[in-house]
Amino acid sequence: MNDIIRDLQVDNLQVDKDLPTGAPVNLSRRGLLVGSMGAAAGALVLGFGLPVRGARAQDAAKAVAPGTRVPAFLEIRPDNTARFLSPFVEGGQGVFTAMVQIVGEELDMDPKSFIVENAPTGSDYLVVFGKMRITGGSMSVRTSYDTMRKLGASARAMLLEAAATRLGVAADKLATEPGYVVHAASGQRIAYGDLAGDAMSLPVPAADSVTLRDPKQFRWIGKPVERLDVLDKSIGKAVYAIDLKVDGMLHAAVQHAPRLGMSVGAVRNEASVRAMKGVISVHHLPGAVAVVSERWWHAKRAVEALQVDWAEAGAKPVMDGIRVMPANFSTADFAERLANEPGDGKDAEKEGDAAAAFASAKTVVTATYHSQYLHHAQLEPPSTIARFNADGTLDVWMPNQAPEQFQADIAKRTGLDASKVNVHSPMLGGFFGRHFLYQAANPYPQAIQLAKETGRPVKVIWTREEEFLRDPMRPMAAVRFKGGLDANGMPVALEAISICEGPTEGIAGHNKDKLDETAVEGLTGKSYAIPNRRIAQIYVENPTMLAYWRSVGNSMNDFLYESFLDELADKGGKDPYELRMQLLKDNPRLSTLLKTVGEMSGGWKRGPFTAEDGTRRARGIAMASPFGSHTAAIAEVSIKAGEVVVHDVWEAIDPGSIVNPAIIEAQINSASALGVSQVLIEEAVYKNGMPVARNYDLYPILPPSRMPRVHARIIESGEKMGGIGEPGLPAVPPAVANAVSTLTGERVRRMPLSQYTFNS
Amino acid sequence: MKLEINGQPYEVESDGDTPLLWVIRDELGMTGTKYGCGLAQCGACSVMVDGEIVRSCVTPLDSVANRSITTIEAIQNDAIGRKVVAAWVQHQVPQCGYCQSGQVMAATALLKQNDKPTEDDIAAAMVNLCRCGTYNAIKAAVQDLSGQKV
Amino acid sequence: MKKLLLVLLLIIVVVGGGLLWFVNHKPGSPFETAGTLPLPSTEVLARGEAVARQADCVACHSLPDGKPYAGGLEMGTPLGAIFATNITPDKENGIGNYSLADFDRAVRHGVTPDGERLYPAMPYPSYVKMSDEDIRDLYAYFMHQVQPAAVANRASGIEWPMNMRWPLALWNAVFVPSGTYAQKPQQDAQWNRGAYLVQAAGHCGACHTPRSVTMNEKALDEGGSAFLSGALLDGWYAPSLRQDVNTGLGRWSEEDIFQFLKNGRNQHAVVFGSMAEAYNNSTQFMSDDDLKAIGHYLKSLPGDASRDGTPWVYAAAAPAQGQAGTRGTPGSATYAAKCGFCHGTDGRGRSPWIPPLAGSPASLIEHADSQINVTLNGSARVVTAGVPDAYRMPSFRQQLSDREIADVLTYVRSTWGNHGDHVTQQEVNALRQHTDPASSTPIILQMR
Repeated sequence: MNDIIRDLQVDNLQVDKDLPTGAPVNLSRRGLLVGSMGAAAGALVLGFGLPVRGARAQDAAKAVAPGTRVPAFLEIRPDNTARFLSPFVEGGQGVFTAMVQIVGEELDMDPKSFIVENAPTGSDYLVVFGKMRITGGSMSVRTSYDTMRKLGASARAMLLEAAATRLGVAADKLATEPGYVVHAASGQRIAYGDLAGDAMSLPVPAADSVTLRDPKQFRWIGKPVERLDVLDKSIGKAVYAIDLKVDGMLHAAVQHAPRLGMSVGAVRNEASVRAMKGVISVHHLPGAVAVVSERWWHAKRAVEALQVDWAEAGAKPVMDGIRVMPANFSTADFAERLANEPGDGKDAEKEGDAAAAFASAKTVVTATYHSQYLHHAQLEPPSTIARFNADGTLDVWMPNQAPEQFQADIAKRTGLDASKVNVHSPMLGGFFGRHFLYQAANPYPQAIQLAKETGRPVKVIWTREEEFLRDPMRPMAAVRFKGGLDANGMPVALEAISICEGPTEGIAGHNKDKLDETAVEGLTGKSYAIPNRRIAQIYVENPTMLAYWRSVGNSMNDFLYESFLDELADKGGKDPYELRMQLLKDNPRLSTLLKTVGEMSGGWKRGPFTAEDGTRRARGIAMASPFGSHTAAIAEVSIKAGEVVVHDVWEAIDPGSIVNPAIIEAQINSASALGVSQVLIEEAVYKNGMPVARNYDLYPILPPSRMPRVHARIIESGEKMGGIGEPGLPAVPPAVANAVSTLTGERVRRMPLSQYTFNS
Repeated sequence: MKLEINGQPYEVESDGDTPLLWVIRDELGMTGTKYGCGLAQCGACSVMVDGEIVRSCVTPLDSVANRSITTIEAIQNDAIGRKVVAAWVQHQVPQCGYCQSGQVMAATALLKQNDKPTEDDIAAAMVNLCRCGTYNAIKAAVQDLSGQKV
Repeated sequence: MKKLLLVLLLIIVVVGGGLLWFVNHKPGSPFETAGTLPLPSTEVLARGEAVARQADCVACHSLPDGKPYAGGLEMGTPLGAIFATNITPDKENGIGNYSLADFDRAVRHGVTPDGERLYPAMPYPSYVKMSDEDIRDLYAYFMHQVQPAAVANRASGIEWPMNMRWPLALWNAVFVPSGTYAQKPQQDAQWNRGAYLVQAAGHCGACHTPRSVTMNEKALDEGGSAFLSGALLDGWYAPSLRQDVNTGLGRWSEEDIFQFLKNGRNQHAVVFGSMAEAYNNSTQFMSDDDLKAIGHYLKSLPGDASRDGTPWVYAAAAPAQGQAGTRGTPGSATYAAKCGFCHGTDGRGRSPWIPPLAGSPASLIEHADSQINVTLNGSARVVTAGVPDAYRMPSFRQQLSDREIADVLTYVRSTWGNHGDHVTQQEVNALRQHTDPASSTPIILQMR
């Protein structure tokens, strides 16, 4: 029954083909189930679609600022539910819910009455700083908050205007209550759904002409509103890219070259593989072979059976923008090389005179720290459906965090005009930075080529093994630290030279005249009052493909810095918590955070101490200031059978102001899990130019048995709104590492901890 | 081969060594059961066979002939399944949601065998991976269902 | 006095000279007078290729990414690494200059044309039983079907004085039988064919027969009860192929053996460890008749109840943790979380795709090496008729500690009626140190 309803709904959505967004929008068609999320998603609704048409004339008249044209975002339907097209993709971070909390607040419509879908490509949706669209950098809510409030308020104004006309009263005599315009004087009440047809053809009021609700009267913003997608995700109804199906679709599986850059030489057994059950065709792709079948399982088995002689990379790269993986590359050797790379690096942050301070310091401490390559390891393996349409357009369904970027890239690859490329962005089965445009890291070029070669729509699914072979990674770094202490043991100078390649320069290209901030963030931007500082980078190009990973540079740099800070505290005879307090005494915002996390944990207690259950434990403290928010975390650990157990993580976060505290708490849990996973067990190891791990067996991610209790507290300082999805992560690994160092007396200078041997 | 899924009989044509997962997803078009690793490592593909939890990515089709299979699509037809889903909603468990079909199946299978699982029982049964780290919410939801103080 | 010294000297010269002659002499070959050989027929070449499959030459002499038979496989020995040589017909690096007699001496006697002795990593103590016909066909195959590859041989890592090879001649004299396989007239033709394949080209005993302190196989045919009675080699325990009910093939029918060698799997087991390689490259390519003959022969080798212990009987396990009112052990919890989804909470697996652990020889033999190894490292893909397996054993070395692996294997080895020895953390650690995870990518060694 539900599927039938969904089909009907999908048919109704075809009116969107007329949506004047500057790009054709074929959101869906019969037989394709798009995951729309919300309590109203199952409702049978007929006869809407009028509202959006009116915008066309207006669109032609003038260029519209992104995020202002109400009908591009909002459909209010006759049954008084609303459909919202989100510029940001939902991947677990709760952004669909946050968006309708904000819009609903100003529109005066309960978030529960919305369904939310990812918006198609189009200039209306470039709402990040009013000029671009990505879901990442923990930027969604904080960069679009004002815009979305105004959008909701504009829609409300339009509804009021329509009601005023209908009732023949002045708009200022009308008020709203959730979902209704109310005329108090006459007691009349008109549902938004009844007004939508009139309202949506009205001109959108100028954004600065609308009045916003007084934050003191917020009903949904700032409240733990339930997420819209929870039920569907609990009953298997959420639809991800890998679940999508279009009529006439074939399935494909690929086998990638063992090292990036190699190409298909000879295939020894192509004829016998073609003869395998279910095999329709065998294809040679750049750096891969593919088998197409009616069933993915047949394609997968057949493609694994292909015996390919892979040819070494020649002078001309097999794909643009890739790095050729050397046959002898090993991460162990590369870590060694980074640590010993000569030079002082390029300044990223400089304060005072570090050199002079070291010369006069009582004690100088030096140490080299390491971070490791990491996989995203999102649970949904990459997939893409490509379909060439009779009208010359191309539809592509794929997990992505930046539809317009993929659209432009696909246009370039196919020679089609961008307006003929429809990128659809389904729900993400986790992302953590995985679904940006990284060369050779996504299946869409393969799906497009296969659709072209077979003349049918094709869905490519990568196995987990093929994914781990092509997943671009969080960079690894070696950082040479030097700290100077005065006679009192206080840090007076700190130098950190990171030998690494930042993810941004790794993806977009290194510019020797610029510094990639994502390489050093977390070494830079620290608030501790150390008067003489020098943070620098020595650029070393990686032979691997690099990527953003949840909390980007901070994901490693705060571990590196905060662990070394503890090392300095130890050398100076200071308690690490007290030292941080002293170094932040002129910074009330961070002092408050530090105090709060101390209180949350029942008062700072470093240990080692014996817990009630008789285990020896210790606690570590660390702080981070990523993505416009600030955090402080305390972790409590013990060692059991040589393995680190993280019992508790207390984390305080100050994101300035918030939209949904329940989602923030969930994100702190989630970020803590990833942080603990990184510091305890994760490392992508390469030997002989190939990843050792091709699945979760050899690249374990945090299992439930190793998840700590997480205690989160939000502090709303009222400062500028910061991010939420990523900021919870960076303070966790150093808090754990510092606790372990305290407990074991052995200074932890590299992740993951699983490479150390600890005595219980 | 004959299969019984969610109380319905099906005649499927896949080979006997085909993983049940791909029969369910591709041949029968029920996509609530997810592919994550294909190696019994993550549990996203969990379904119940005769009330016991199995990972369908490593369950050959011929091993479940004539047995009763329950997938997430029918979870709300089951009294315990309904309660599990309600607890999942109450505790707002899912984030990206990709592993949650399997998590809900695992919790339902546990509670069908043992309506008062201890903390250790829960730890032993709820072993599916979640990259979003919803483990504490999962634990709280199952503890809630087992009548324990959360 | 002087005379005595002279006599002694004479004796030394004669004996020493005799020894010198002995350790450097080339053994005889029936092909010494073969002269110029005619161009082999396609039949001869096909037979030669089949012999190459039976002898599994490719297993050592080819690398996954290398040219066929160009050598290179590293074999660890207690003395240092040795490397399989280039056996392509390349004149510079390979065997291009070998006469048939030279080839024969190398394959059946372990002696190069220079008179140098090969390490018995080359299984010539088995190959010596190969028939003249098979040697001739094999030579024809190598000379005419294998492409010469200009790939230099790698020097062994064994250092002086252990790198002196002449003492091997003495070892050979003592331990290597002479003469080809002799038909046993009291047995039928199928039995004799099976015995020939097992003992000669198949060199099954190289792994499955225990070795003495002098490293020779304790028995080279059914005449010795140690023959194929199971042995530890290179981190794997190659189980008994005799009629031992627990640790051997006592519960297998001839058809089961045939299925195992043909398809890599049967209701009892799936090939893993070193046997996966032997299957992938060798046994599956043998003719059905030959495989049946092997099964027929192996079924004739009696077991040894005193060594094998009480016959295994399946016993249902105590309910797993998670069911009301039960408490598991650490091993049972790990089993449920990591093993049971494939091998079944009842230990019976999903045969023939995923093997049972209940009653498997590896669960019943005292040596836990194979189970430890396969748990730490997983197993190579099983490739049947060119198609990789649908299910593979993962590696658990990154997920489970030595303690956890010891616990879970102790659980496996003491449940469902299994009665293998318990496993210690130290045993797991020792294997962890010198093994690597198996590749998840199918490895297909090429013959041409």
